[in-house]
Amino acid sequence: MEASTSSAMVARQTWEIENNIVAMESPAAASDSDAIFEYDEASQSSIQQLKPWNRDPHFFKNVKISALALLKMVVHSRSGGTIEVMGLMQGKTDGDTIIIMDAFALPVEGTETRVNAQADAYEYMVQYSQTNKQVGRLENVVGWYHSHPGYGCWLSGIDVSTQMLNQTYQEPFLAVVIDPTRTVSAGKVEIGAFRTYPQGYKPPDEPPSEYQTIPLNKIEDFGVHYKQYYSLDITYFKSSLDSHLLDLLWNKYWVNTLSSSPLLANRDYVAGQVADLAEKLEQAESQLAHSGRMGGFFMPVQKKKEEESQLAKISRDSSKITVEQLHGLMSQVIKNTLFNVVTSSASASAAASAETPTSATDSSGPEPMILL
Amino acid sequence: MSSSSGLTFKLHPLVIVNISDHHTRSKAQTGRAGRPPRVYGCVLGVQTGRTVEIFNSFELRYDPVEELLDRAFLETKQEQYKKVFPKYDVLGWYSTGSDVQDSDMLIHKALMDINESPVYVLLNPTINHAQKDLPISIFESELHVIDEVPSLIFVNASYTIETVEAERISVDHVAHIKPSDGSSAATQLAAHLTGMHSAIKMLNSRIRVLYHHLASIQKGDAEYEHSLLRQISSLVRRLPAIDSPKFQDDFLMEYNDTLLMTYLATITKCSSTMNELVDKFNTAYDKQNRRGGRTTFI
Repeated sequence: MEASTSSAMVARQTWEIENNIVAMESPAAASDSDAIFEYDEASQSSIQQLKPWNRDPHFFKNVKISALALLKMVVHSRSGGTIEVMGLMQGKTDGDTIIIMDAFALPVEGTETRVNAQADAYEYMVQYSQTNKQVGRLENVVGWYHSHPGYGCWLSGIDVSTQMLNQTYQEPFLAVVIDPTRTVSAGKVEIGAFRTYPQGYKPPDEPPSEYQTIPLNKIEDFGVHYKQYYSLDITYFKSSLDSHLLDLLWNKYWVNTLSSSPLLANRDYVAGQVADLAEKLEQAESQLAHSGRMGGFFMPVQKKKEEESQLAKISRDSSKITVEQLHGLMSQVIKNTLFNVVTSSASASAAASAETPTSATDSSGPEPMILL
Repeated sequence: MSSSSGLTFKLHPLVIVNISDHHTRSKAQTGRAGRPPRVYGCVLGVQTGRTVEIFNSFELRYDPVEELLDRAFLETKQEQYKKVFPKYDVLGWYSTGSDVQDSDMLIHKALMDINESPVYVLLNPTINHAQKDLPISIFESELHVIDEVPSLIFVNASYTIETVEAERISVDHVAHIKPSDGSSAATQLAAHLTGMHSAIKMLNSRIRVLYHHLASIQKGDAEYEHSLLRQISSLVRRLPAIDSPKFQDDFLMEYNDTLLMTYLATITKCSSTMNELVDKFNTAYDKQNRRGGRTTFI
């Protein structure tokens, strides 16, 4: 037991060093770590006067999101189901970091046209901010979030124009996109934070941050606009009381972890993804056959590269979906082994439980594929 | 004294984080001097039959000196939350502190006109690292006759933590600071399996506790308690969880479906690699290339 915990400690520290994790709490300085929760009105208004972001379109580089804000945004996005929902975020700035302390939902749905929604939303927003100030939430609105259920974290054409408008009149402002469907399917939070470049600014060529698959019907919208904004790095923070409570919470919700069935929850989404992949494959095939005919004489090297990368992209997408399915299946197999294999005597059960995991791992043989 | 109303309470982690954040905020704003003030708020949720599920919460304004609850504020907030979450009703209120105080009953009675039997959630914000249990208690009010005077008192109620899948993932994410850059399949697999492993470890330790207790009863060290033994025996009798042929069929079908997907993905990957190979071959050994690439024979 001790050996495993110490090796776990070593692994964790290595991981922390690799990922530049700055621990926000230390037992001695607990009161200092909660300092992020103090709102200093004077310094905030002086920053507002200075407006350092006007000089550099790439000024803000990092985002810090509080545990509360993240939880609220994800729960609200998930409650929308397949409909896009949106809300606002409150917080402050700190150098090149935007800090999000809280978030609240707006009573508008994605199906309404934006023009009408704005008026209603502003009224709600003003009222909500006022009531919040009365209970000690002094921060200002610094951004908006909305959900893209099932089609990834990026800004669509309308989103880009909305955000550009926001960045002209309501600086500093941040756009956050959450995909609740992919969150549940992948088992990790799918979130992205973006800021748009002003019109006509030519950004330096930066490599795409993290590859994600975009469904065919949205890919044009994505492609046209993806150069007009950049994404920011997201880190999370929580107060000392939060971490204490969350640690204790684990004592209660391990049951939910064990009982979660991602396979069941995501059937529709997975079916949609597979269908989308099939379409993309057909497209790629027709393009490939097309250029193959031209083959011999003039091979436009550029186009060839794109064909390959398209097929490679498709294979990457299919691997990703399959990996998620496999994870779900692994959970099911584990649960089956734990709860369905019952024998009469202790020794027989030890033998049976030793056998069934090995047979299960044999039959779920394609594990090596995950390493690719 | 425990509750006898027979209602089951389910608490969502969002409420807990909300209350904790409210407390941290007011603590930060009153500075380091003195004890942090108590905070008050309302809890929202849904009550279906005998199950009370608490989903969300918002803050309230309460003046402890005047003992006055700001009703206008409460109503404004209620309206706002109704617009966004139309299904949630006000189920009760919350506060921070280590124990129930007398003034709490006043607030409780004040809320009774919104909800006839409100629930009181109390969070203890003092961090005690030795503590194993969540410092949250839920109280209900009951009419008891004490000294021949019927009066309302608070009785403790048990609760369970309930999560929506997305909630669980984000709580997990923030609690354990899971690697957010999970693009590598290996780290994703590791993360998923670690979560499972810790959950199973918990299950194992809990079962061990029961086992040791039973062993000590057998030896005669502990008391022979019928209700506990009944519960343990019913628990053990629930295994196997499902064991019908229909279940086996469905399980294997799902298994095969996943294997089929894996097969498809592998084929796609193979054909993609083949395609690249053929292209590279063509580029390297292309006879019709007039750009001066010399053809080489193996």
